[in-house]
Amino acid sequence: MPEPTPPAPPAPAAATAAPPPELPATGPDEVALLIDDKPVVVKKGTTVLQAAERLGIVVPHYCYHPGLSVAGNCRMCFVEIEKMPKLQIGCATPATQGMVVRTANTRVKSARESIMEFLLINHPLDCPICDQAGECRLQQYAAAYGRGESRFVEEKIHNDKGVPIGPRVVFDGERCIKCTRCIRFCDEVSKTHELGLFERGGHAIIGTFPGKSLDNNYSGNTVDICPVGALTWKPFRFRARVWFLRNVPSVCIGCARGCNVELGTFDHRIRRITPRNNPEVNGWWMCDLGRQTYEPLDGRPRLEQPAARGAIAAGPPGGAAAPAIPVTAGVTPGEALDRAAALLRETAARHGAASLAAIVSARLTLEDLFMARKALQQAGIGRVVVPPHESGEDDPLLLRRDRTPNARGAEIVGLGRPDAAATARLAADVKAGTVKGLVVVGEDPAGDGLLEAPSLSALEALVVIDAWRTPTAAAAHVALPATGPYEADGVAVNFQGRAQLARRGVPAPGLAEPSWRWLRELGRRFGLAGSWNTASAVFDEAAAAHPPLASLSHRKLGANGHPIVFAEAAPGGGAPAPGTEAREP
Amino acid sequence: MAYEKLLLKNAGRENSHTIDVSLKAGGYEALKKALKGMTPEALLEEVKASGLRGRGGAGFPTGMKWSFLPKTRDKPRYLCVNADESEPGTFKDRLLIERDPHLVLEGIILSSFAIDCHTAFFYIRGEFQKGCRIFEQAVAEAYQKGFLGKNILGSGYDLDVLVYRGAGAYICGEETALLESLEGKRGLPRIKPPFPAIVGLYGCPTIINNVETLANVPFIVERGAAWFAGIGRPKNTGPKLFCLSGHVKKPGVFEAPLGIPFLELLNEHAGGMLHPDRPLKAAVPGGSSMKILPANRCEVLLDFDSLAAAGTMLGSAGGMVMDSGTCMVGALLNLAEFYEHESCGQCTPCREGTGWFTKILHRLETGHGRKEDPDLLIDVARRVEGNTICPFGEAIAWPVQSYVAEFKSEFDDHVTKGACPFGGAAAKR
Repeated sequence: MPEPTPPAPPAPAAATAAPPPELPATGPDEVALLIDDKPVVVKKGTTVLQAAERLGIVVPHYCYHPGLSVAGNCRMCFVEIEKMPKLQIGCATPATQGMVVRTANTRVKSARESIMEFLLINHPLDCPICDQAGECRLQQYAAAYGRGESRFVEEKIHNDKGVPIGPRVVFDGERCIKCTRCIRFCDEVSKTHELGLFERGGHAIIGTFPGKSLDNNYSGNTVDICPVGALTWKPFRFRARVWFLRNVPSVCIGCARGCNVELGTFDHRIRRITPRNNPEVNGWWMCDLGRQTYEPLDGRPRLEQPAARGAIAAGPPGGAAAPAIPVTAGVTPGEALDRAAALLRETAARHGAASLAAIVSARLTLEDLFMARKALQQAGIGRVVVPPHESGEDDPLLLRRDRTPNARGAEIVGLGRPDAAATARLAADVKAGTVKGLVVVGEDPAGDGLLEAPSLSALEALVVIDAWRTPTAAAAHVALPATGPYEADGVAVNFQGRAQLARRGVPAPGLAEPSWRWLRELGRRFGLAGSWNTASAVFDEAAAAHPPLASLSHRKLGANGHPIVFAEAAPGGGAPAPGTEAREP
Repeated sequence: MAYEKLLLKNAGRENSHTIDVSLKAGGYEALKKALKGMTPEALLEEVKASGLRGRGGAGFPTGMKWSFLPKTRDKPRYLCVNADESEPGTFKDRLLIERDPHLVLEGIILSSFAIDCHTAFFYIRGEFQKGCRIFEQAVAEAYQKGFLGKNILGSGYDLDVLVYRGAGAYICGEETALLESLEGKRGLPRIKPPFPAIVGLYGCPTIINNVETLANVPFIVERGAAWFAGIGRPKNTGPKLFCLSGHVKKPGVFEAPLGIPFLELLNEHAGGMLHPDRPLKAAVPGGSSMKILPANRCEVLLDFDSLAAAGTMLGSAGGMVMDSGTCMVGALLNLAEFYEHESCGQCTPCREGTGWFTKILHRLETGHGRKEDPDLLIDVARRVEGNTICPFGEAIAWPVQSYVAEFKSEFDDHVTKGACPFGGAAAKR
């Protein structure tokens, strides 16, 4: 859940209260008020609920969400305001100068208890089989504010259940409390307008408009903001209890935005990815593609052991395909690295250093890219290209056309930005036979259609470092298993120029290591000095070498990242993502 | 007693809905007077001085409501006429619309002039097909005669009136739900503040008035505020249409000054109780959503303040009379079913509470009540009251509280007897 569990409500103010404290002085755009006898100064236009949050006072609520307009329909956030006869909803009442607010007296508690009772009379109370259990507002508030037993002995209202309201979201009409957060999200944030409220009274039900399906790239956010178990995320349904999840703060690898996320892991597998609020990057949201970026870890064939095949002399120079020796286990990492170094060395000796080149991926971490540059330089490989991975256009909300998370990181460490033309030239040179030795890190030129099988087999040295058992890795003389997404700590620099630390959520299989480790070992075989043993040590070295990263460290990047300073202004600047600003009430 | 008919003076004539009949009877004279000799400010002051209070239910002073409009003119101002008359037992606006649409229209034009509005919306209940047809015809006639459109009667004042039909939801009579519906959205009440006078239709300053309220304005213009203020009782001035239905001989709409005694209305105007052997048991003087009065407390005056003092409200003056043969559990069940059906479903207490009332009442009426049910009804009503977005919550909470409290023994009887002493007709429908 993006928002914290509320603690138990504070004790009511003592009947014999001391005279209320004096209100502090305010600036021209500010108001001072008292909430539960505590003074607070807030900007004009701040709501009572937000002002209470500033004091750490929890005002329970369902329908209010800081990223959406105020609906005021759940009636849970009632507070008492002096001189107002009725209780007021905190989410829609602006704080005014001298206002005296009570959030926990008997009257407010009774109102909350009433709302809880109303919300539960027609609720199925199916927590034991509900995926929301453990992060459900109804559960939390029932425990904190409910009456504990029901006075409702009637037949509950029945409604549609298990409705595939969209390809990735399932709707349960009985659990729904009609807070309309999902409707407002689709109207105001994704602006796709699929959802509406239909029918009336107790039979009111959320649904899609005729002919529509909740099928937009941001549909998963409706699940996140659903305060109850009415909307569930299809890939996560019945997969894990949320209280068993280990939630790791990390960064999405799906595009150049780098949405801040939480990796929900259980039993060494990622079970879901949910957004983590960062107003500078993604607000409260993330896209559905990003939520599914862990899925290859569950199914795509991995490289798990180092493999080496053939020998340098096995194929006639520039000739026919090398014999298809299956990738074999039983090669130690050291033997594989020795073989890789020997192949590269011999190819250089035979055709000159200019016959060597490398393809390095902007999907790698900054640490990988930094070490790639260092090791490849050390090995005398001067020609390094970074292929672009683009799709469609930047969308108005989050998803970027650039689907690599670290293009700007590649630029910072001196590998240059992804360059389609340079990549194409390299592919042509491989085909023409002028490039004889190739190191590929984190890319699959064969699978991506960049290099064809005959060109690959004509290479005299093909060293691949990758997480996946790709066509390129299958054709390699030496293949080294790398960690996949979310399997290693590392920094990525997003399109705004913000460095963010992505944390490892799950262990890597087999002998997979971060690419920077393989590159370090390869570099050592060419005389690379240095003993970096952690990603953070590699980052420190990179920070020392590249001025935009100066003074940064993994520790300093923390959970929310840090903007870095370029010589020239970064495109997009540090402006918040569109649609992610907190709304003024 | 007989009173001078003002609002209904024209309603009994043949073809009273046509402009020719209306003009012959003095229609649009007030408009001519105002456009020739009055400024909008003077007209507004006149309405204020008359003490006219809204006839839609809340009794809010009309002139004061108008003066809440912001002084700035950066946005257009709108007048919305609430003709979504849907309260059970209330049928006074329908009569005005069908029998004297030109009186209503004259009131609309005068009021629009007073608040400097150039577009007025007439939001009429969907079921009023006949009324809508008549009113649209009246608007067309008024355009023809130059009472609407550009440069009305050469005064330089422009006004368009647009007629919109609702789709039959009771909630659209709530003024902000009406605005949502007019804007083409689902009719859900808005959170107030901001009030419509500041942020109303399409985000512009908007005044929403009841049909009957506006029908009073021509008389105020014609005969003056002081004359109007002399009708009725202090702070409860002017003529009023009273509906009376239920167990009376002659149900209907009756015009009388505010403050007429309820028993006078019942016995002299509505012809007394329907069955001579069944005396009055209870009455709702104001409309279905108001608190009920048992017979021994029915000696009340029908005006805003007197009924408030008696613990109920004048509301829309949709009086309902119940005789001794009435089962109060059944009557309340009937009402609760209506409110359950009409709850918009937006906010929690009303959405969930209205259905709960019905279920409990249905059990009681069919003999499956528990002894704690009457108290539970009152407690649930207390939890709905005051906690909803719009007054719909009170519109069912008040009847529930008052029916159970005033007739507690009858509710208890349903439990102890395990059946409805009156036959349980309400639950069998």
